[in-house]
This record gives sequence, C-alpha cells and structure tokens, in this order.
Amino acid sequence: MSVLHKETGHDKKIVLVGCPNVGKSVVFNSLTGAYATVSNYPGTSVEVSRGHCQVAGQHFQVLDTPGMYSLLPITEEERVGRRILFDEQPHVIVHVVDARNLERMLPMTLQLIEAGLPVLLLVNIIDEAERVGMRIDIALLEEKLGIPVVGAAIGRKRGINELRQALAAYQPVKAVFAYAADLEQDIQRVAVLIKGNYRLAPRCLALLLLQRDEELQERVRAVEEDNAAALAAAVNAVVFARRVDLHLRISLERKRICKGLLDGVIIQREGLKPAFAERLSRMTMNPWTGVPLLLLVLYFGLYKFVGGFGAGTIVDLLEGSIFEESLNPWAIAWFEQHVPWYWLRELVVGEYGLFTLGVRYAVAIVLPIVGTFFIAFAMIEDSGYFPRLAMLVDRVFKRIGLNGRAVIPMVLGFGCDTMATVVTRTLETVRERILATLLLTLAIPCSAQMGVILGLLSGVPGALAVWIVSLTGIFLLVGLLAAKVVPGERPMFYMEIPPMRLPQPRNVLVKTLTRMQWYFLEIFPLFMIASVLLWAGKLSGALAWLVNVMQPVMRLLGLPNETAAAFIFGFFRRDFGAAGLYDLQTNGLLNPVQLTVAAVTLTLFVPCVAQFLIMKKERGWKVSLIIFVLVTALAFAVGWSLNRLLLASGVLG
Amino acid sequence: MKCTFCEHELTAEMLREEGCGACLGGCRKIHCPYCGQENPVVPEIFDKLFRRDPSAPGKGSKP
Repeated sequence: MSVLHKETGHDKKIVLVGCPNVGKSVVFNSLTGAYATVSNYPGTSVEVSRGHCQVAGQHFQVLDTPGMYSLLPITEEERVGRRILFDEQPHVIVHVVDARNLERMLPMTLQLIEAGLPVLLLVNIIDEAERVGMRIDIALLEEKLGIPVVGAAIGRKRGINELRQALAAYQPVKAVFAYAADLEQDIQRVAVLIKGNYRLAPRCLALLLLQRDEELQERVRAVEEDNAAALAAAVNAVVFARRVDLHLRISLERKRICKGLLDGVIIQREGLKPAFAERLSRMTMNPWTGVPLLLLVLYFGLYKFVGGFGAGTIVDLLEGSIFEESLNPWAIAWFEQHVPWYWLRELVVGEYGLFTLGVRYAVAIVLPIVGTFFIAFAMIEDSGYFPRLAMLVDRVFKRIGLNGRAVIPMVLGFGCDTMATVVTRTLETVRERILATLLLTLAIPCSAQMGVILGLLSGVPGALAVWIVSLTGIFLLVGLLAAKVVPGERPMFYMEIPPMRLPQPRNVLVKTLTRMQWYFLEIFPLFMIASVLLWAGKLSGALAWLVNVMQPVMRLLGLPNETAAAFIFGFFRRDFGAAGLYDLQTNGLLNPVQLTVAAVTLTLFVPCVAQFLIMKKERGWKVSLIIFVLVTALAFAVGWSLNRLLLASGVLG
Repeated sequence: MKCTFCEHELTAEMLREEGCGACLGGCRKIHCPYCGQENPVVPEIFDKLFRRDPSAPGKGSKP
C-alpha cells in the first residue's frame, strides 16, 4: 500500500530499471500510489520520479529510472540510469522486462547480476505472453538465475502481492555466468589489475572498459592513480587483439548464456503455429525467400507505385495538363503583355524561368514522384522491413567491405544522398565510411531522380532492365575493387530485430507529410536558386560556353547536344537533371538507346552540389575530390561503353 | 517516438539536441544514437492533427 511518508534519509531504496515501454511507470505507480515527485537528476536535465512505499512495515524510497537497454550507456538517459544504480546504493534493483521479449531483455539482467548489484527480476506483461501461447516457468528461471523472479501483469493488478513479498524477503545473492574460455581469459587479465572500489564487480568493470566506456575510463584513471597506466595497457592490448569483433563476441556470448537459461523456461503451447508476422519475418531474412520478396517490394513499391502512378499518372496530370497546357501559356502571355524587360521575362517565364522551369520541375515533376516514394518508404519502414533487409544483404555487403549497418545510409540514399552521406559517419571504420560515400555518390540514385528515371524508362521496353543491370553491376564491381584498394578492417554486424507488423495508416500519413514538409522547406528553394543560376548563365553566355565544352563528350556518348544541359542541371540537383531528361524525352529528342545511355550516365554522374559539400565536410577535401573525379570519369566511361554495347548488340534498337 | 529502423525509444532529450547543421533552415530530423537512422521529427501541427488521443502528451514527452 502507498503511504504519505516523510523522508528520513534512511529509507532503503528500490530502483526500477528496464527498457522503455515495459511498464516501469505502472509498477512505480502501483507501489507508490499517487504521491510522487518528479525532478531532474542532479547535474542533468533527465527527469527521475521518486515516491515512497511501505512493505511489511518497512519504509522504502522508490526511484523510477529513464529507459535503458544496457549497462553500457549510449544516451544521456542511460548514463543517468546507470549513475542511479551505482550511486544511490539501492537495497533492491527491480529489473522490469516484457515477458514477450524475455530473450531480448535478459542480457541486461545478466549485466546487472554481473555487476554485483542486488537484482530482482520482474517478468511483466505475462498475460499478453500467455495470450500468444507462451508459458513461462518462473520457478525454473529463478532457480537458473539464482535471483528472485516474479511473474506479473501489473497493469492488470496481477502479481503485485508477489512482488511485495519478494521485496520484503529480499536477500542479496551473488551469481556468476561464465563466458567462453578465451573471453574469460581476457576479462580476468583486466579484472585482476583493478584495485579501487567502484561499487560494481571488477568483472563487470573489466567488460565495460573493454567496450570503451569513456565515463568509466575517466573514473578509473582518477581512482587507480599509479595503477591506471598498467590497467589501460591491459585494456588496450585486448582491444587491439580483438579489434574486429569484441562487441559482437560479448553480445553473442550473453545471447548464448541467455538461450541456455531460457531452455525449458519458455514453453510455446503446442498446436499454435508461429504467427504470420513471425513466419514472414523469417522469410524476409532467408536469401532463398528474401530475395524474391525484395524484388516484389521493389516491383510493387517502386516500379508500379512510384514509377507508374507517381511518375506516370500524377506527373502527366500536373505537368502535362495543368502546367504545360494551362498555367505556363497563361503566365508567359501575361508577362509578354505586361513586362517590357526581357531579362525579367526570362527570369520568371523564360527557358530557365523561376516559374516555367523551377516551379514546374519542383511541383509538377519531382513532387508527385517524391510524394509517392515517401508513401512507399513510410509503409516499408513502418512494417519493420528495413532491419531485415540489413540482415539479408549483410552477406553481399561483406564482400564489398561493408557490413549490414551500411544498409541504413544506402537505403537513405534512395531518399536523399546528401543526408545519407551524413549518416555514413555512424559506420564503425574509416574504410567503411569511404566505401559507403563512394557507392552513394556513384550508384545510388536519390528518390526524386530514381522516380523520374523509372517514369521515363518504364515507357521503353527493356530500358529499365538495362538501367538496373548497369547500376547493380557497377555498384558491385566498384565496391569490390574499392574494398581491395582501401585498406582496413572488415567489421562484424549484429543487430536486434524488432517485431514485424502491419503498417499503421496514421504513421504512414504523418511520416509522409513530415517528409513532404521537409521537401518544401529545403529542396524547393534549391530549385529556385538553380533556376536563377541557369538564367544568369544563359544571359551571360556562361551556360552556352559550358554546353559547348560538354558537346564533344555528349557526342562520344552518342547523345544529342541538348543533353549537356541536363547534366549541368544534374549538378545542382540530381532530380533536376532527371527532370531535364524528362523534358528532352517528351520533346522527342532521345531514341531508346540514347535515353538509356543518358539515364545510366546521369545516375552515375557527379553528386549534386549539396551532396558534394556534405561529402567535403564529412570526408575532407582530398577524399571528396578523388571521389568526384573518379565518379565523373567512371560515369562517362560506362556511358560510352554502354552506348557501344547497345548499338553493337541491337538491344533496344 | 521510436526510431524507424531499430525501434529504440527516442526521448525528449534527443529531440532537443542540436542538428548537424547540414540542412538548410534548421534541423527537422533526429539521428538515432543506437543505429544512426535519421528520423523525421513530426511537426507540432501534424502531431496535434493525427494524435490518436488528443488529450495525450505530444511528441518528445516521456511515455
């Protein structure tokens, strides 16, 4: 029962920890009632709730910590959560876990036990687990873990009394779980050198130091004084020897121990097949079924919906019917009649006018394509498919020196290569970052460019197939060659897979609208700036000079001279360039071979201005310029070869 | 709000963090500290319009 109680400063503390959304706050409320104070943890802006309760006549202070996934903190909340565990000297730490995700959450229980902390495991939301046919043998789990375990559904008032009884009777116990012999050896090598008192077991501290926990490294330096150098040397030696897979080994060892602990503890009711989502989830990660499923997603999500509906139906309506037939003629006529200055007419309604080119490209060609792409992307994202795709392509990516984590920037690149280039900083090694940046710059078309190209090529039989084969081939070939040239480690990849589910219309709508707002606020102004620059280039003659310079290259590629302008557009924005091709195609200036060659070359061609600037910021001048030159040369070389090949073979002829 | 890639919870603190400066007109995305995914931050107006329970706290609030 909850009590109104004056804090004495001597109350024992109960600390609630666990991942977000496991019901910690419900447990907190059920223990403390309505009386709680919420304040920032000293020296931080992270809120911590404190309340009081009385169990078996004894007063306790109860602390509800921010969500944490592991004892190795990544966020400020996790850092504060850990500080509470170590500094508040709790009488009991209640680790709240979701019964449905016991296997995923148990590794943190191991960490807490390993740290020598007084842990009680609360397996919450057990009613939901039972509903899907899971039975959890709490007594057996308690026996195996060696700490008190309570099964509960606190939200439904189930298990509260058992929790109170367990808290009243709590006696700290020690348990040790052994890792593989080689890892144990490394842990011991560091642990024996720890002399200071840290309120956590040396074994746990050794593991955290090996995982480069900066906060603890600092604390160790301060506490160990003369011994600090020897300890740091031992840590560095192990980290260097296991530089490729230390984190992965520790995670996998904990998984292995948890699997053993849960053997016989979780019983799935017979006759209940795994849910459809679970079966589908497995299929998406198995190469035999995953690749066909990926092709289905690409076909219906991108080709039919973005390419067919977005780039076809909606663009035809907006660009063809509304802009070309109504708005543009009206605007041009109005300006011809009312504005005497040539330069101003050119600026607004001329060949590169703000309205006739900038607004038309941004609103009538690119927006419908980007919009439909954002809808498809949000649906795939909300279903939980992307982490599975990461697992599926990990094998291929390893061959080219990347791990599955690189799927994130690659997938993002299909949205916008500029932001994807920023995300490459999350890759573990410099080698991976350079490779990912190169591949993004070269062979990953952004959503808008891809949409326009899909729309363009889907009307020419075989052209899209040639484009896909060319891009995939270049991606793999350059990746493989670059991986051989750029030295460095090949890191391992490991990630938790969240559940798969049906996309929620509300989520899809909100994500799509949010991204469309981003498009309008950030991309639309760029289209306007590009129009102004092209207008200035036209009036000053600089554009004509640039087009002249590029004409020999265009001729080598077998393209008409006018295509040079599309390549210049492409440097401002990739989709701007693709929209330029769209204009050429609708005016009948490109035959099927020329269209395919131009589309492949433009896709591989140099990054847009924004991407180049971000690339320079992330990778520095030297790497960026090398990538720029390499990509430009490669794009034209591929374009030239493809033109020869298509003409000689008669394909698309 | 959850990360759209790894589904780790993104908290109010993270939403208040400054952006990387790469975007024109200020940051409207949040990098997940666990996987690096760029998550769009839902503008207040969409959050209000499409919130399931209008009386519930908005984005960035502790669940």
